[in-house]
Amino acid sequence: MIDIIFFTLAIFTLAGGIGTISFSQPIYSAMSLIVSIIAMAGIFALLSAPFLFLVQIIIYAGAIITLLVFIIMFLNVKNEHLPKEENKNIHLTLSAFLLIPLVLVSLKAFNTLPLKSMEIMSGDFGSIKLFGMTLFQGWLVPFELISILLLCALIGAVVYARKEDKIG
Amino acid sequence: MLSVSVVSINILIALLFSLGAAPILVWIERRVAGFIQDRLGPNRCNIKGIRLGGLIQSFADMLKLVFKEDYKPSSIKEGFLFSLSPVIVFVCSYLTFLVIPFADDLHIGSETFMMQALPLEFGLLWFLAFAGLSVYGIIIGGWASNNKYSLLGAIRAAAQVISYEASMGLSLVSVLIIYGTINLGNMVDYQGQLLFGFIPAWGIVLQPVAALLFVVTAFAETNRTPFDIAEGESEIVGGFHTEYSAMRFGLFFVGEYVAMSASSALIVTLFLGGYHIPWLNTAALQAHVNVIFVAIMILLPFGSYYFARWITKNNRWPQVGDIRNKEAAWLKKILLIVNILVVTLLGSFLLFGLSDDGVNISVAALQIITFAFKLLLVNFFFVWVRWTLPRFRYDQLQDLGWKVLLPLALANIFFTALFVVGFGV
Repeated sequence: MIDIIFFTLAIFTLAGGIGTISFSQPIYSAMSLIVSIIAMAGIFALLSAPFLFLVQIIIYAGAIITLLVFIIMFLNVKNEHLPKEENKNIHLTLSAFLLIPLVLVSLKAFNTLPLKSMEIMSGDFGSIKLFGMTLFQGWLVPFELISILLLCALIGAVVYARKEDKIG
Repeated sequence: MLSVSVVSINILIALLFSLGAAPILVWIERRVAGFIQDRLGPNRCNIKGIRLGGLIQSFADMLKLVFKEDYKPSSIKEGFLFSLSPVIVFVCSYLTFLVIPFADDLHIGSETFMMQALPLEFGLLWFLAFAGLSVYGIIIGGWASNNKYSLLGAIRAAAQVISYEASMGLSLVSVLIIYGTINLGNMVDYQGQLLFGFIPAWGIVLQPVAALLFVVTAFAETNRTPFDIAEGESEIVGGFHTEYSAMRFGLFFVGEYVAMSASSALIVTLFLGGYHIPWLNTAALQAHVNVIFVAIMILLPFGSYYFARWITKNNRWPQVGDIRNKEAAWLKKILLIVNILVVTLLGSFLLFGLSDDGVNISVAALQIITFAFKLLLVNFFFVWVRWTLPRFRYDQLQDLGWKVLLPLALANIFFTALFVVGFGV
């Protein structure tokens, strides 16, 4: 049962990813990205990480892609504005074939990894409480550093967006 | 067998409170709008004289929407997305309702059931997730309509959700600090306590600022006036649903009411004590269930008597053959039958005594009724505000979101945390 759900979600994730790069209309790409993200959230849920599952939907699907779509709509891209990609499918197929050696090498590398149990963790793993405790007890300094990094990015954006004060 | 029936009853109750409430909410909306604007509102639609104060009009409207021509303008290229977007709005709104607890955990025999349609622990996050997703319906619909007004509506909806979701999440953080749990059921349990021994420890008492912030952001999240700039019929025709008609529009329409009902349910759960009758938490209710039965047996006939008199006074027509006179007679008969049924049922409970399971089930039923009553009141509040306040202008809305609500939410978190840590509550 879990295998069926996993494969369905995996197919949706991959299809969404392919859609993101192959649609010519940007809004379709954004929609495909949402499909991919929600399917990915489903995989998190399957791996008994309910907190990541919901946060993935709230932050990525609910906020970040909304912002992305907002900007795409603001630009109001019409079909005639888009570049004509006549041989797109041929290009995509060719590049997929060209990637085969790389994929083979990574598969080989993957096979040399030591064997570990691939069972889904059970019990409290990934629950909100345990997640928060681990994050704020074991990883407090990295967490705060990342927050400061985000704050810097935020301030930088505000500085760039602000109009220059007129002098004199 | 038992678990299947309890779970299906829970799902049915969720359906009833969300989808089933939609026609009633439409009726309340139109009648209240009428009274606020000093007119009567729709009250003539009837089936053989039965009007129920205009409630039949909602069903007539719904039938009209279902049987209308399924029209799609030929200018629309993205037919699939055009049809998909009302479905997204409706499904997401409905999913948000599934995690609301209607009653305390029900113990039957050795089994325990969470009284919500989806027995999840992290109900609050689930609500936020799907409330955020439902805006995609509006965005995609507005974009697929291939119409500048629709596109403007969609852009406004996207901007509004981005600016108000942050405040909504932050207002909930301070609530979480107080309750110390993310489980909606446990939050309601917490609100069953008494503050200083006589004030119910409801969220609105403990966190008035968070309650205010959440109510405001919930209005924005459900696109209700004064935050309905995505629709803004005085500025951009119909906003995102300009091109929609028939049942595609119907799904948007019903979805809005379902979302409103879900937001009201969350407001009740977080701030208004959830399913608790004031001063009576579940344990007290179980201990004194017989007293409650006696109280209902006395109060119900009295209330019904005055209600029947009100019907007689307001639904009397001078002509003998007037079909509307029959309605009053019918309603009074139904009222009488309901009274007899309830009183005999409760009387037999009192006479023969209830087993532990019976007490638990009747307490759950009482709590569901309490929850429904509170839900109705908050829904009424939504309607009341809609017909009282005018719509915000777009820049006012962004100013309010970023310059007032967000700093207020952050300050509230800071002071709440300071208080909780400082006093070790």
